[in-house]
Amino acid sequence: MSKGEVIISVDKVVKRWGSFTALNEVSVSFKEGEVVCIIGPSGSGKSTLLRTINRLEEHDGGRIVVDGIELDGDTRHIDAVRAEVGMVFQSFNLFTHMTVLDNITLAPRRVRKWPREQAEKVARELLERVGLLAHAHKYPSQLSGGQQQRVAIARALAMQPKVMLFDEPTSALDPEMVNEVLLVMRDLAKSGMTMLVVTHEMGFAREVADRVIFFDGGRIVEEGDPAQFFTRPAHPRAQAFLSQIKHAG
Amino acid sequence: MTSRLKDRDALVLVGSVLSLGVVLWLMSAPLAHLPAPIGPAAQQFSEGARVTIQLTLVSAVFGLLLGVLGALGKLSAVAPVRWLADLFVWVIRGTPLLLQILFFYLALPAVLPGVQLSEFWTAVVALSLNVGAYNAEVIRAGINAVPSGQVEAARSLGLSRFNTFRDITFPQAVRISLPPLANNLVALLKDSSLAYAIGVVELSMVSSRVQAESFQPVPVFLTVAAIYLVLTTTFTQFAGALERKLAVGKR
Ligand SMILES: Nc1ncnc2c1ncn2[C@@H]1O[C@H](COP(=O)(O)OP(=O)(O)OP(=O)(O)O)[C@@H](O)[C@H]1O
Ligand SMILES: [Mg+2]
Repeated sequence: MSKGEVIISVDKVVKRWGSFTALNEVSVSFKEGEVVCIIGPSGSGKSTLLRTINRLEEHDGGRIVVDGIELDGDTRHIDAVRAEVGMVFQSFNLFTHMTVLDNITLAPRRVRKWPREQAEKVARELLERVGLLAHAHKYPSQLSGGQQQRVAIARALAMQPKVMLFDEPTSALDPEMVNEVLLVMRDLAKSGMTMLVVTHEMGFAREVADRVIFFDGGRIVEEGDPAQFFTRPAHPRAQAFLSQIKHAG
Repeated sequence: MTSRLKDRDALVLVGSVLSLGVVLWLMSAPLAHLPAPIGPAAQQFSEGARVTIQLTLVSAVFGLLLGVLGALGKLSAVAPVRWLADLFVWVIRGTPLLLQILFFYLALPAVLPGVQLSEFWTAVVALSLNVGAYNAEVIRAGINAVPSGQVEAARSLGLSRFNTFRDITFPQAVRISLPPLANNLVALLKDSSLAYAIGVVELSMVSSRVQAESFQPVPVFLTVAAIYLVLTTTFTQFAGALERKLAVGKR
């Protein structure tokens, strides 16, 4: 599968909390248009990797370069990267005091300085795309979990990011709502978006991902083609993990 | 149904502002019809109520500003700023208000000889600092109660710290803080009576004067209590309506 240039490069990145090392010299790169699923046991550092990529956490060592911009101490670099990288959280994190439309238009208006009409036009297009145009004037509390997560995806897309990060986007959802969110993500992947997805949805990973990364203890212990990874994982930790979730699921 | 509810809230908001105005400007007329010792002193009662309301509202505005500053100070990343804010809240909440009022009245001119404040403004300074310290605690708690996930989401969208505070944290913190802030306002109204200690002729001072002249404590204190109740009830109603009006996004 031929994909574009490297858009995110993570080089020997270390993240510590006190004496605990959450990321232990992680090196990995992601190409434009690539969809990568990140899996691994709880506490292995999956969220931490995503969070360091848009600087919700500061890494303690190594280098992270996103679209040619290095995440160093320079706040202009951080703001520039954040504007290019959209993030979708497990718990949606919609702004509860704003309507769906305002949730989506806020960042384009404040950060991109778009006039309200332009921001609302784009927001409506995105709402149409995630199937929620009729709910534009509702508040988040009036929506189901699946609907909220679709709004959260639209909100991130409104900034026209080059990369989308998803941290277990369906884990907080009731089972019957998982599919509506995965459907939106599938469409997004088809449209060529670069996506890093932490997920335990094996079906999605098999079908959509170009590559699977398996985390354990703050390191990437296996990386490869989804079909191969899910049928014949090489690393014993990956074998143990996969058999565990297969039994649980 | 919701819009009718909103209409009623708007009515309460306007109504409570109006009734404050009535108390401020027109109260002496009905009081004047009452028998002695109230009737003859109607002008004094309404003057006193006016001073009480002015003390309260002016101190409330400064107290709100101080409260926001104090809360931001307490949450500051800069340690000395945090210490200063903590010290302010600790001293004010740990000492009697009466002592604070006397301090600003008696000690401030000695410390800052150039500063000449009237009794009214001395009381405003003390009351503002006092309610400001309590507001700081309330607003800090309100800010902390805004889910951190929303702040992260805003930051991940590229919003600056300032915009995140202005658009996400502050509006929600205000909503969360509103009921306890209203409590502080009602407490401030009652606490303003302590200004009598430095000779501010507010409502309580008036009651004590009229009582001293008439030797009829029961009607005098009942009247003053009634005026205070009207004022505190007005404030509570106003705060309640404001809270409901701002409570969007909740089911
Ligand atoms: N703010 C923090 N302070 C201290 N330790 C933290 C913090 N955030 C994460 N950690 C620790 O870092 C480790 C990695 O956390 P991370 O959230 O990246 O795991 P994860 O792979 O996403 O797990 P999960 O599947 O449970 O979400 C965990 O052991 C966690 O306890
Ligand atoms: Mg996680």
